[in-house]
Amino acid sequence: MGAFGKNKKEGFEGGGLILFRNVEEAIKAEKVLKAADYMVKLVAPPPLLRKGCDLALEIALVEQTGIERLFREKDVHYVEIIPMKGSGELLEIVKVKDFGEAMMVKAGNMKLTFDKKLGTILNISGGGCPDIPYLHAELIDKKLTCAIRPRENGFTLCALMLDRAFVESLEIWNRMEKP
Amino acid sequence: MMLICGTIPQEDFPLSIGTVKFSGKSLTVGAREILCLQGTAALIGAACVTTEYLGEEPPHALLVGDRGTGKGSRLLYEYLSKNLPPLAPRVLVLHYILPVMGLMKKVCESAQRCHQKPIMIADASSMYAAKAAGLATRFDVFTPDACEMAFLADPDATHPAYMSRHLFDSDITQTPELAAKAYQNRSAARLLLVKGSVDYIVEEGKIIETITEPDIPELEAIGGTGDTITGIVAAFTSAGLELNEAAILAARANRMAGRYARAAPASRIWEIIAQLPAVFREHLCAWRGSCGEMMVATR
Repeated sequence: MGAFGKNKKEGFEGGGLILFRNVEEAIKAEKVLKAADYMVKLVAPPPLLRKGCDLALEIALVEQTGIERLFREKDVHYVEIIPMKGSGELLEIVKVKDFGEAMMVKAGNMKLTFDKKLGTILNISGGGCPDIPYLHAELIDKKLTCAIRPRENGFTLCALMLDRAFVESLEIWNRMEKP
Repeated sequence: MMLICGTIPQEDFPLSIGTVKFSGKSLTVGAREILCLQGTAALIGAACVTTEYLGEEPPHALLVGDRGTGKGSRLLYEYLSKNLPPLAPRVLVLHYILPVMGLMKKVCESAQRCHQKPIMIADASSMYAAKAAGLATRFDVFTPDACEMAFLADPDATHPAYMSRHLFDSDITQTPELAAKAYQNRSAARLLLVKGSVDYIVEEGKIIETITEPDIPELEAIGGTGDTITGIVAAFTSAGLELNEAAILAARANRMAGRYARAAPASRIWEIIAQLPAVFREHLCAWRGSCGEMMVATR
């Protein structure tokens, strides 16, 4: 591991907190994340954010999607993941733009465009996290009904926003009258 | 030397540095070939085409495989932190790299140690990291879209997914207010090129140009069209243009390439990049008001 390896805590500013109900869960989560090479730090949550446990884990907030998937796989229980500053809620709002034969759905910084006749994913744009080019290559030309959800293969908040756009696109497609 | 740093969606791609060759749909760094898709590959493709047209040295790239785990990104941060001073790039472009605030700080400190500080350009997640770490003012150019502009204006947000909802509700026409907030909060680079239905060029808080033509709404849907703008800005800057002129030309060229490519929602980014030489040939002198020395190779 290099000088800036994942377990180096010095100067770590992750921007995200995982809250737990009890200390045992926090310790287990730290062990699971370290074993998976995530950079984490046990911290005391601010009193206003405390949810029953006086230990929390600081994480790189952008890695939320991969961490949540790992917790599901390893049966780690936690209360929630929140940013240390600012809005405590993920953006839920989506916007839609109709290009005639194609529809673009925007969620946060991500946009997914699908063919209205065929239900295939035509393009993915926006974002900027390293998993997006991979998801772009994986999803293009796939049918919305057959594609794997971005949150299953992505690791970052960009992937989570893309997942929101994907789910909304699928709902729109399912509601559409088919030729 | 222009150095473009980013990740490639192949986990086994080792940390590599070298000049890049672009051939239509793919890039070659050393012996490795990379498809020109959305992301850093698209940025490099546009920069290669632009430097070639201008008769300038092709860009150098520092690339590493990373599918989102951050392992490759951390290697890249580490390499830059140690090696920027001897590399001494004139233009440094930071792109698709997992945003880690502490590591971005190390890179910026390393840039400060260069004999001459590079012209610093950030887009995508590197822009997120720079803003979140309070380093925005160390950068010369950011190239946000409308959503990312709102993120820059939110003083507390560390990622666009967690910004205030009222800011996400903003549209591109509110760029002047959002840019003013971002500059007030010291969350903006010296120059912003805000990409949207209207492109805004903002320099030190002042809107110096807006670009609306040609209007190609489909460009927004095509993965990589923001990346290409950043690549063109970097190439023009590396060729010696002032940042504001580089940004204006890049915004115009990207739109015109969309028109030439007859951009549709299903278009691929290499189709847009392929049109850039024709766009430059037919418009660059007119846009600049003259064919300056930087375009010797094209005359």
